[in-house]
Amino acid sequence: MFDSILDTFIELLPEIGKAAGETGLMMLICLTAAVIIGGALGILVFLTSSGQVLGRYRRFNLVANGFINVFRSFPFIILLVAVSPFTRHIVGTSIGPLAASVPLSLAAIFYFARIIEQTLRDVPRGVIEAAEAMGASPMQIVTQVLLVEARSGLILAVTITAVSFLSYSAVAGVVGGGGIGDLAIRYGYYRFQTDVMLITIVLLVVLVQSIQFFGQWLARRVDKR
Amino acid sequence: MTTQQQDIPAIALRGVSKSFRTPDGLQVGVQATDLDVAPGEIHGIIGFSGAGKSTLLRLANLLERPDSGQVIVHGEDLMTMSPQALRAARQRIGMIFQHFNLLHNRTVADNVAFPLRIGGADEARIAERVKTCLEFVGLSEKSDAYPAQLSGGQKQRVAIARALAPEPHVLLADEPTSALDPRTTQSLLEVLADVNRRLGVTILLVSHEMGVIRRLCHRVSVMEAGRIVERLNIDNGRIPPESQLAQWLREFGEGGASPELPETAGSHLEEVPNV
Ligand SMILES: Nc1ncnc2c1ncn2[C@@H]1O[C@H](COP(=O)(O)OP(=O)(O)O)[C@@H](O)[C@H]1O
Ligand SMILES: [Mg+2]
Repeated sequence: MFDSILDTFIELLPEIGKAAGETGLMMLICLTAAVIIGGALGILVFLTSSGQVLGRYRRFNLVANGFINVFRSFPFIILLVAVSPFTRHIVGTSIGPLAASVPLSLAAIFYFARIIEQTLRDVPRGVIEAAEAMGASPMQIVTQVLLVEARSGLILAVTITAVSFLSYSAVAGVVGGGGIGDLAIRYGYYRFQTDVMLITIVLLVVLVQSIQFFGQWLARRVDKR
Repeated sequence: MTTQQQDIPAIALRGVSKSFRTPDGLQVGVQATDLDVAPGEIHGIIGFSGAGKSTLLRLANLLERPDSGQVIVHGEDLMTMSPQALRAARQRIGMIFQHFNLLHNRTVADNVAFPLRIGGADEARIAERVKTCLEFVGLSEKSDAYPAQLSGGQKQRVAIARALAPEPHVLLADEPTSALDPRTTQSLLEVLADVNRRLGVTILLVSHEMGVIRRLCHRVSVMEAGRIVERLNIDNGRIPPESQLAQWLREFGEGGASPELPETAGSHLEEVPNV
C-alpha cells in the first residue's frame, strides 16, 4: 500500500510540482491584494469608527462596513461564478490560476479588512490618544502606533487569512482554477485514485501546519507587551 | 522655557463648555467655565468622580473640542489653528495619564524619542534629549527595557520623560498617581515638583486625592457637576478652613485627617512599590 503511494507520488511528481506552483501563484496574488487593499480598507474602517481619530467620517464608515459585509456574506463558490464576467474582462479567460485569483483576491480583501479592523481594536484608545496629544498626524498614528502596537495580531491575521485561502484556492480548482485542489479533484474524485487524494491532503496538511507554526512563532517573537 | 512672559497666563480657558451626545441624551461634561493658569504655577483640579475634571483638562490641548469658548495656551488660540499648527502646538504641551499609555512594543528610549520623531527632530537631538530626560527621571539604566518589564511608578516616569522630551512649557496630568501605591506616589510627586521647579514647566494636574493636591499645588480649582465651584490658594498644604473643600474633607475625609476624597477606595494598592 505504502509502496504504491510512493510510486504514484514519484510518477505524479511533475504534476504535483505544477499544481503546487499554481497554488503558490494564487496565494501570492490573493494575499498581496488582501494585505495591501484589504489592509488599507481595514485601517480606514477602524480609524473612522466612532470615537476614533477620524470618527467624523461616519458616512464613509457606514458605506465601507456595508461593502465588507455584503462581500463577506457571498458563499465563495457563488462569488466565483458571479464575478466570472469581470474576471474574463480583466484576465481574458475565466479558467486557470490567474483567473481564479480574481475572485480569491476579492474575497480575501474583504475578509482581511474585517480581521484587521478587529485586530486594531486591541490597541488601547489611551495609547492612540497619547500620540494625538503629542501632535501625531493620522498617518503617523497608523504607521508609528497602530501598526507597531498591533503587529503580532497583524501577523496572526495574515496567518489565518493564508490558511483560509489555501482552502478556498482548492475550491477554485473545481472550476478549473488549477492548483492542488484541482489535482485532487481530477485524479482523486473523477478517476477514483484514492492515493492521489491522500497525497494532496497530506500536502495541504503540511502546508497549513507550516503556515500556522511560522505565523505563531513570528507573532510571539515580535510581541513585547 | 526661560523666555516666558509673566503677564500672560500659560493656559487660559475662556467660557469653555463641553457636552457629550450619548444614547441617553446630552451629558454635560463641563459647563461654561473660565480657568487661568499662571506661568510656573502648579494648578490642581479636584472633585468627585464625574465632576468634569478630565474633560476640563482635555480641553486644554483640544483632545476634546469645546462646544463654545476659547482655549489659549501661551497666548495662542488653539481653536483657530489649522490641523498642522495645532499638531505643532501640541508638541509644546506635554501630557501624562493615569494609565501611562506607553507604547508597549517600543523600548523606553524609543518611547521617549516618540514625540521628537513625529515632530521631525534630527537623530543627534533625539539622542541628546532621550539621555537628558531619562536622567532627569532617574531611569537611564532602563533605556533598552520594554514597558512590560517596568513597575507602575517606573512607567509613569517614562511617561514623564516622554512628555518632557520636546521641551514643553506646559504639562497636563490626568490622575498621574491614581494607579500607584502611596510610596510610589510620593516619589513621583517629587519628580513632578522638580519638573516645575528646575525646568520651569507649568503644570495643570487633575486628582481626586487631597494629599496630591496639598503636597504639589500652588492653587486648586474645585469642580462639581461640570463647574468650578471654588478656587483656592494652597499655602504650604493648608486648605482655608472656611472653604467648601475643607467642608468636604470634614465630611468625607474624617475631619480632614484622611488625605483624599473617597472616589476609588482601595485603588492604591494595585501595585507593589519598587521605585
Ligand atoms: N467621551 C465621553 N462620552 C460621553 N460622556 C462623557 C465622555 N467623557 C466624559 N463624559 C461624561 O462627562 C462627565 C464628566 O466626566 P469626566 O470629565 O471624565 O469626570 P472626572 O474626570 O471628574 O471623573 C461624566 O458625566 C462623564 O460621564
Ligand atoms: Mg477623570
